[in-house]
Amino acid sequence: MVKEKNHFRTPISYTYRRKSPFDQLLDHMGKVRECINILGDGLIRYYQGDYKNFSEIAKKVSKIEHEADLIKRSIRNHLPSSLFMPVEKGKFLWALREQDAILDHAENLVRLLDQRHTKIPKELQKSFINHAKVVMKTVKAMEDAVESIRDLLETSFVKREREQTKKLIHKVHDYEWKADNEKYKITEGIYRLEKKLNPMDVYHLLKIADWVDDIADHSENVADWLRAMIAR
Amino acid sequence: MLFTRQNILGERRLLLDTTLLLIGGGTLAISFYMAWSIGANDVANSMATAVGAKAITFRQAVLIAGILNFIGAVTVGKHVTEIIKGHIINPVIIGEPKTLILGFAASLLAAAIWVTLSTWKEMPISTTHSVIGALVGFGLITCGTSCVNWKELGFVASSWVLSPVFGCILAFIVFKTIVKTIFEQDNPVASAKIVGPIIIGITAFLITSSLLLKTLLSEILGITDLTNILTISAIISIAVIGISIFLLRNIEAKTDKDYTLVENIFRKLQIITSCYVAFSHGANDVANAIAPVAAISSLLSSNTLGIYAEIPTYLLAIGGAGISVGCLTWGHRVMKTVGGRITRLTNTRGFSVDFGAATTVLIASKLGLPISTSHTVVGAVIGVGLARGLDAVDLGVIKKIIYSWLLTVPVAAATSATIFICLTWIV
Repeated sequence: MVKEKNHFRTPISYTYRRKSPFDQLLDHMGKVRECINILGDGLIRYYQGDYKNFSEIAKKVSKIEHEADLIKRSIRNHLPSSLFMPVEKGKFLWALREQDAILDHAENLVRLLDQRHTKIPKELQKSFINHAKVVMKTVKAMEDAVESIRDLLETSFVKREREQTKKLIHKVHDYEWKADNEKYKITEGIYRLEKKLNPMDVYHLLKIADWVDDIADHSENVADWLRAMIAR
Repeated sequence: MLFTRQNILGERRLLLDTTLLLIGGGTLAISFYMAWSIGANDVANSMATAVGAKAITFRQAVLIAGILNFIGAVTVGKHVTEIIKGHIINPVIIGEPKTLILGFAASLLAAAIWVTLSTWKEMPISTTHSVIGALVGFGLITCGTSCVNWKELGFVASSWVLSPVFGCILAFIVFKTIVKTIFEQDNPVASAKIVGPIIIGITAFLITSSLLLKTLLSEILGITDLTNILTISAIISIAVIGISIFLLRNIEAKTDKDYTLVENIFRKLQIITSCYVAFSHGANDVANAIAPVAAISSLLSSNTLGIYAEIPTYLLAIGGAGISVGCLTWGHRVMKTVGGRITRLTNTRGFSVDFGAATTVLIASKLGLPISTSHTVVGAVIGVGLARGLDAVDLGVIKKIIYSWLLTVPVAAATSATIFICLTWIV
């Protein structure tokens, strides 16, 4: 029986060797995934008014953000001008930067949410939850697109794989567009309720909606840079 | 010891000088040291890509390489070899046997020191070039520029360009072929099941024909005719294709894009090519270490020196053993550079590099072109990188490697000259 071995990844015992920058990008992506999973659940509970353990979540997100930062730094430090890569290094670094921006925004968001427990008005709760769900889907779609780098590299960028990646990128765009629409619904709702709400709440609600949406925006940016990377 | 016995029984002319005799005996030790350093530096040529692609582990690689190098050296190693690689210096002008013996010893030691240094620095250099460089140094110090064959040296220098370029082109083509015939197909695994055996067949053809072309083995088997060799190789390769199709028949892709399976098929292929490179390395390079000993022993016994020297089997065995020990002890050093530092390789890439390098070396050596395996392997890695096959090729490491190539001849020459002067003072 042939042992199923994932040859794309370098085992831990080989970490003394310089890892492939793409592997590291995917490691960084792993951190994004971890963070967004925690954030997604936490966010929905928060919207429902359950603030228990939210500080824990905030701490976890911060920790993951820091770990991802270390990976990012290691990629940048080990990308000398003498390194010859199959994609343009500049585009690669931009993709990494946007990927990292997702985490930065996630951290800012949880910190903000943790510092002031803003109650979501009953009327808006549903839209907020929907929005969060679509944003998470955008991130997931982006993750899928970036994961397809493996197959691209393995086949040295054959057409079939490039088409597939492009399809995944289109999905990201679709979700991002949906997320935007959800956000506009939320802001509309907030303005409709502005007389009833206290100004500080309005400010925070708008800010939360914006910052959650930023995560989707940056996911789209990652996908765009990926698209640029695979373009011939 | 060997020389004492030989000389007590035979010619006594050179026995006058006991120091000289010691040096003659010392040369045997030096040649073992040289064989050791060749093994340590050159095992990377054959096994680095396989280790880099994780087809085999470090331990397995050095063990396999050690055994195959020894077998290659003893069975296929050339029994008749040029005393002076590429006639780089003219021994007739130097004439005096004492000077020649000292010179050979000095050159061998200098070459071995440089190879050891490079191995320590984890640089894959050409051991043949260090031998040539050392001989040039000795030639220059004894009779100036007149006895050095500069044209030949230029020919050697052309290897710096030729080897990497050929390796690069061939590996590029091989990798592109794999991409076009396997990865671009709708069902990569099904294509690999057809293309894989064909490639194995071509590999088998190359291996058999190289084993039979002008080697001891072909003499033993009595197959010397070119058409015979080609027919036999073709038959063997077709048999191999049949066997491999049979062995691969049960492999089924789990998904449309089961690239892991494609890599697994190539993992096996890669081990075969690596073993072949190790085997032929032992056969080709053992002479680098022991040719000077053979020359000295013929000088001591008959006081004459031809262009070619007979190498007795026990000397081949000593050389082979030296190479094996080198593989086993320090083989991991250079392997790290080629297999891991330049780039990370998967099995299809590793195979492309191996196949490109092995074929280049094979064709070039039959054509008489001065090609170095070490240089070819590095070129082949770049070739696969240019085909967009590698995640990242570290050109910084490659630059360092190229510097070490350029340094090989002058450094070996200077060291050899220095050692030679010291030896003449002592003697």
